Amino acid sequence: MGSRRRTYIVLAVVAILIALSALAIVNKPTRLGLDLQGGTELVYQGRATPANPTIEPDDVDRALNIIRDRVDTLGVAEPEISRIGEDQISVGLPEVQNAQQAVEQVGQTSQLAFYDFEPNVIPPDPKLNSPESRPFNRLYDAVKAAQEQEPECFEKNGEPLCTHEGQFYLFDEATLEPLAGPAKVKEDLFFGFEDDKQPPGSIIEEIPQGSVILREEEPPDDLNTEVDESSLTPQGWFLLRDRPELTGDDIRNPEQATDQFTNQPNVTFEFTDEGRKAFQEVTRRIAERGLERSAGALLSAEEAANASDSFAVVLDGEIVSRPIINFVENPSGIDGRTGAQISGNFTIQQAQDLAEFLRIGALPIELSLISQSTVSATLGQQALDDAILAGVGGLVLVILFLLFYYRFLGAVAALGLAVYALFFLAMIKVIPITLTLPGIAGLILTIGVAADSNVVIFERIKEEVRSGRSMLSAISQGYRKGIATIIDANVITLITAFVLFVLATAGVKGFAFTLGIGTIVSLFTAVLFTQAVLAVLGRSHFLNSPRFLGARERRMRTDFDFSGMSRYFFAASGIILLTGAFAFAGKGLNLGIDFESGTRIQTTLSKEVTPDELRVALSDAGIDGMEGAEVQEVQEEDAAQSGFQIQAKILPEQAPDVKPILDEAFGVEDFSNNTIGPTFGEQLAKSAVIALIFSLLVISGYVAIRFEAKYAIPILIALVHDILLAGGAYALMGFEVNSATVAAFLTILGYSIYDTVIVFDRIRENVPRMPRAAFSQIVNRSMSEVLVRSLITGLATVFLLTMILLFGDETLRGFALAMMLGIASGTYSSIFIAAPVLTEWKEREHAYRDRRRQIEETMGYVPVFPEQNVVARLGDGESDDPIAHEPVPQEPGSDVERTEEPTGDSGAYPSQSRTPSQPGRRKQTRRQRKKGG
Amino acid sequence: MSLLVFFTVGLGLWHFTVFFPDRFWGGIVGALVGATVGAVLSGAIAQAASGRSVGETDIATVAFALPGTALGLAAIWLLGARREDAPTN
Repeated sequence: MGSRRRTYIVLAVVAILIALSALAIVNKPTRLGLDLQGGTELVYQGRATPANPTIEPDDVDRALNIIRDRVDTLGVAEPEISRIGEDQISVGLPEVQNAQQAVEQVGQTSQLAFYDFEPNVIPPDPKLNSPESRPFNRLYDAVKAAQEQEPECFEKNGEPLCTHEGQFYLFDEATLEPLAGPAKVKEDLFFGFEDDKQPPGSIIEEIPQGSVILREEEPPDDLNTEVDESSLTPQGWFLLRDRPELTGDDIRNPEQATDQFTNQPNVTFEFTDEGRKAFQEVTRRIAERGLERSAGALLSAEEAANASDSFAVVLDGEIVSRPIINFVENPSGIDGRTGAQISGNFTIQQAQDLAEFLRIGALPIELSLISQSTVSATLGQQALDDAILAGVGGLVLVILFLLFYYRFLGAVAALGLAVYALFFLAMIKVIPITLTLPGIAGLILTIGVAADSNVVIFERIKEEVRSGRSMLSAISQGYRKGIATIIDANVITLITAFVLFVLATAGVKGFAFTLGIGTIVSLFTAVLFTQAVLAVLGRSHFLNSPRFLGARERRMRTDFDFSGMSRYFFAASGIILLTGAFAFAGKGLNLGIDFESGTRIQTTLSKEVTPDELRVALSDAGIDGMEGAEVQEVQEEDAAQSGFQIQAKILPEQAPDVKPILDEAFGVEDFSNNTIGPTFGEQLAKSAVIALIFSLLVISGYVAIRFEAKYAIPILIALVHDILLAGGAYALMGFEVNSATVAAFLTILGYSIYDTVIVFDRIRENVPRMPRAAFSQIVNRSMSEVLVRSLITGLATVFLLTMILLFGDETLRGFALAMMLGIASGTYSSIFIAAPVLTEWKEREHAYRDRRRQIEETMGYVPVFPEQNVVARLGDGESDDPIAHEPVPQEPGSDVERTEEPTGDSGAYPSQSRTPSQPGRRKQTRRQRKKGG
Repeated sequence: MSLLVFFTVGLGLWHFTVFFPDRFWGGIVGALVGATVGAVLSGAIAQAASGRSVGETDIATVAFALPGTALGLAAIWLLGARREDAPTN
């Protein structure tokens, strides 16, 4: 296919895609993440139960379906319910602000169990088994009594009946007051305490399988009084043998109803065939026991009620009601055909929820809430506005910069960037990609990637123009030479994005996905599209004037001895890293709640409140972990309101309780919170480290294949240098490290490699072109050629990051700060760490050692640049560099005789005719070489 | 955290090896291996001997890695020097 025909096909495809993109942008909605539109996200971890000792994929799938049904009852539009890893479930509820209700409705296990109470209850004193003496007053005493029981688990039809496999409690050693529990694993008891470790002066007690401790039911609320009866009578604790007679699986058609005698809301239900038989059997047994105890005395129903045994209805470890089976009214038990009812101190809402849960079914596994976050709609909208402003501002700045520096070529690049932005926006809507804050950070960064592709090519074109090529030839050569570099660099970015997407957690995944998609789109727009545009405009007046291309003269002199000076930069890096080591050791990293676990709340209160008043209100709230809350005042636009950021170690399920407390005390205008449980924090940290190591390995492998193994090691050293430098700066300044910082660090990794690959690519390209030059000379020449590109790209990315720093929200700002450090360090390390290490290493190879010796013997020293070898030796102003250069082949189809531009700067760019016949010069050079040794 | 400190000390000190004649076994990369492995080993031994946990660090933790870095670099340098001085057949 002819190049002209290909050009027009590319332009036609782009035109069609522009039209389709415009259509998609107008007609398709944008799917926003919870952090941008507001809502609640809950992350649960599945835990095994005796009935399900191992968590199988089927169990998680069934739990997902049940949660989906439950969420449907909340009336949430477009909930996002997904599985994370093997045993975690993420529930995204857009626009839901009542996190308390969401937590109650989504993850409650709803394990219903019916116990034959009297034969199973173990009283504190077996000799005194009267109803009044059955509960333990203290939980500790019940635990100690449970420890004396033999471990057991009864079975029914081959299925284990017990509801747990052993539980742990944490008590204050001095007062024996409960501090935490029950928990299935010891570590769960320590959350909320310092460093998530067992607090001093506490003891752990374990109860064996086969016994269960249940909180006594609340006394019935007398609707005729305003007094809350439950607050008058302290509830005790029952110790029962863990032998439930029926479970939630034995009932059907549960409905919320009203008790005809007390007018209290209750839940009525029917039994399954099996449940009906079991219910009749157990109630008959209970009635017979009462009858036996009455020893045949004729009692009225009221009198029999006092002597009848009862039936405990237990929901998720708490007794909700304990109805008696009156042996006078039901001597043969209760026929389950008419169903039964569960009465407790339910509100109508609670009774409706319970009925709904029982209808949908209990979760097959126990779900533990490990992370909960709520973003208010106001905060989400604000974050979206900030992100759009930062993105658009960044794009405009980059375009202005490209126009300023590259003039007409900059206009073409700007067109490419505009088309890129259009395509990317359309893809976001068509795929659809859920836009989150980290995702927008990735998107903004891809603008830098797209701009860099053009920078790499334009610098090549300018070099070709300066060397005397015609514009069409320069464009063709610029793209031909630049494309390999761009592909290498973009493949590295894609590898980083892929590894992040596969291994990292949700927030970072969004970032990685947009980075990956953006990189692919940018390859198309920045390479194919701009090439087609330039090919069409190649004969125009603008493109044939070097002035319009900013290629008239080299503005920046880069005859700098990079290799020679590198030792001083090495020393500077050493000092910075040692400072970082002191910071790591002395101050450590300030790990945020993402890794350390805990809760962060951002709230606006409608009254003027002082931090001390807020602290007191939180301490009095009775939420474990709130006593040590850090309260920080935040400036609010409305002076009558107070804004606060609160950080505390509370459990994810307790976090939603804070809002009602604040609302009652001060009135809440706006409330957002993020809670990370210890399990989730550990997982975040682990996945970040795995992603980092894996990225390094894959990228090293790629570099070793594309270049050679020796090129991979300096890249790794430069990477470790950059990560440690950025980490050291974070430790020194005390900046918080959170999941956005990890995303930024991983991007630094990608960026640093990207930059180093571009430098190394030029070295690789120059090695065969300079067959007699010392390696340090090749590196010096290569660096001077790519330095401008490195600085331009660095500057373009810094513009983007500055916009994020100025306009982005807190998450994006943290990201931008880490990136800013990383880009400075990445650019620096490519030039002053990676390349010198490669130089030192390659110079040890025999071939390069011989070359160096030869030059030293000839000239007495090794000049900075290869072309100086000849210039210095001839000393006659006649400049050819056969030692350094091979003749560059004539471009096929080119009608121009190539001539490199003389600069007059110590012969760094000696004039070099490319005509084939220069025997005199070659002869002279050979003679000189011979003379020199 | 202490491992990070030890490694960073080793890497930081390695940067100064460019001021020494390059007789390290494996060159500058060999020196890097010597410095970081020595730093981590000596740091870990000293940390264990002091009875502190891996996560427990203070300014003195930096000092734990210094002897190992010096020893590691010296070992690699001596190894390289011996190889260079060895007569070649």
